Formats: sequence, structure tokens, C-alpha cells
Amino acid sequence: METAYRRDEEDAVSACVLDDMVLLYHRRSGQTHMVISPVPEILERMVDGETVTAAAMHDRLARDFDLGERAAAVAEIGSHLDALVALGLVRPA
Amino acid sequence: MLRIGPATFRIGSAWGRPIDALARLYADYPDVRGAIADFTVRLQPASALRRWVRPHIFITGDHGLADAAPMSLAHGLLAAEMGMNLQMALGWRRHLLLHASSVEKDGRVLVMTGESGSGKSTLAALLGERGWRLMGDEFALLDMASGAILPFPRLVSLKNRAIDVVAGEVGAARMGPLLRATAKGDIRHMVPRGDAVARMDEGGMPALLLFPRFGHEAAVRDVGQGEVFMRLTQASTNYVALGEPAFAALTRFVREVPARAIDFPSGDAAIAMVERLWSETP
Repeated sequence: METAYRRDEEDAVSACVLDDMVLLYHRRSGQTHMVISPVPEILERMVDGETVTAAAMHDRLARDFDLGERAAAVAEIGSHLDALVALGLVRPA
Repeated sequence: MLRIGPATFRIGSAWGRPIDALARLYADYPDVRGAIADFTVRLQPASALRRWVRPHIFITGDHGLADAAPMSLAHGLLAAEMGMNLQMALGWRRHLLLHASSVEKDGRVLVMTGESGSGKSTLAALLGERGWRLMGDEFALLDMASGAILPFPRLVSLKNRAIDVVAGEVGAARMGPLLRATAKGDIRHMVPRGDAVARMDEGGMPALLLFPRFGHEAAVRDVGQGEVFMRLTQASTNYVALGEPAFAALTRFVREVPARAIDFPSGDAAIAMVERLWSETP
């Protein structure tokens, strides 16, 4: 079965856009993360707290961005979501 | 007892000499006998016997490093200075501490940060003799509420070639003893000018951040905000400990203060570059 991901309210970060990256301060861990696209865009599309799979995230992103070939883009989004789980910013649903 | 900027230190030593040297060099600092100290620094023998036989100093205090190497008694002044730096680096929580030098002109502050040997201390010392107010050569204190930089004007620690450059400019009366062959080479301390001490409670808003690098052809380079943020977190000893207020204060600093990296072959070349960049700063 396809992995689903979600963000809780307590996963909230405060974000600061610099000229070449986005900084995320993660309150729960006290850690600061430096991220670049598409990570901020993925996180923005999870603020509703709904569970989302990599494929569903692809469809949300595809409304605003040209993501190219679907299977490759879904795989890449999946690996970003897994990396965010490892950082503690996103949790498996 | 010694007060430098907002921090008060109580310094004790098993030997008289380091205290005598501090008393001479810090003679014009505020008299704070009876005040409550933020930190205690103690210089004590590495063992009971070592108080007398080939005396070696071990630096302790409220905060210490377990693996710190003992130092020769001849370097007692340096041990006291290092002890104070250690307390600040490990224990200060009232401001975001940046390992940086700073100088002020017209109420606005120039902050310079870099590794040991980058020239930030020397540059701050020279600017402090040429129309700027020295705020500190080691730590700049960023006030998290206001965004201002506050002074920490301890003795300026000059190393190796910088010693002659600065000593020639300020004269022997404001120089400490030459400490030969320390772990960082030869070191000599310089007493800041009277105005730096008299105005040590007076901060200012940061206007320019420089990353100096001594020993290269003259060059100026823009530094992206992401790199600035990363380098400043590396230059801060208490960024993580202070949590979200530090994040807010540092991101504000990075977004509001223009930053440049400067390479320079000599002190005079550096000062010319700094003055030019300062005149171009909005």
C-alpha cells in the first residue's frame, strides 16, 4: 500500500524566506532547517493536516507547477517526503 | 571583580601575577566591587605541587572544558582572558552571542566575523584608533528584542604580526606584556581607548556585516543571505540554546544588514576597503 504522510499542528515551523533559500525553525525540536524548492512548496500543501500520498501531493503541486513526467515526479516527491519524515517535520500517517 | 559591557566577572587566582596584570590593564574599567557577578573564573594549579614547581594554570569557573590543556604561569593573563571568554561562550543567555568584532560610527555598527587569524581583531583595533569606536574584538552581543549590537570591549587580543602593526600605533602604555609561544603563537593584549570603555553600555543598530580574510589579494564579494545565516549560526555559541527568539533575531539581522566578504593583503588596504564600503552603505 502507498505510504501516506501528514503534518500535525505541533509539527508547525516558523519560516523565513531569504534570497536563496527558506529557513524553517522547528519548535518541537528547536532545530533550524535550511531548505530549497520543492520542500517549502510541499510543506505549504500539508498545512491542512490531511493525510496525503506522494501521488496526491503530485496532483496538488501540479496545479501550480509543471512537474514533467508523472512517474518520475511522484518518485521524487516521495523521496522528499521520506526525508522530511527523517527530519521530524512530517510524520507517516 | 571586573565588568565588561553587560557581564560581570569574579576572577580568582592561586597566584598574584595574573591578577596584577589584569588590574593594570583594566584600571580604567568601572569599579564594581560588591556587585553580583555573572560568572566566576578561577586560575588554579594543575596539581597542588604545580603551584610552586614549574607552575601550570588550569582554567576553571562556572563553566569549564574538561580537556583544556594547562597553561604556563607566564601566560596567566591569557588564561584569565580565555577563562572570561569561556564563561561567555558557554554561559551567556541574555543576548545572542556572535564570535565577531564590532566598531561603531555615527550610531551605526559595523560587524566583522571570521575564523581566528582572519584579521577581524586587528581590523577592529586599527579602526578603533582611526575615528571609529571599538565595541569589541571577540564577541558582539545581539539584543534579541531590539536587534541592536551591544559592546563587549575587553582587551584586544593581538597575535603574531598584528602585534607590531597595532603597538606602533597605540604606544606601549596601552599594551600588555608580550606572551611568547602560546598555543596561538605570540599574543599581546591592547587596552581599548577611553571612549570604548566609557561608552561600553551604549549599543547601536548593525549597518554592515563583513567577512574579512587577511593575506589575499584585495577583493570584495557579495555573500548570499543563506550563506550569511549559516556562517553566523556557526559563529554563535548560544544560537541553539536560545531557541526561537534567536531564530527571529538572526533572520532579522540577515535580512536587514548587507554583507560582503573582503580579502586584503594588509591592514591599510583593509581600512581603505572598509571605509569605501561603509560610505556606500545605505
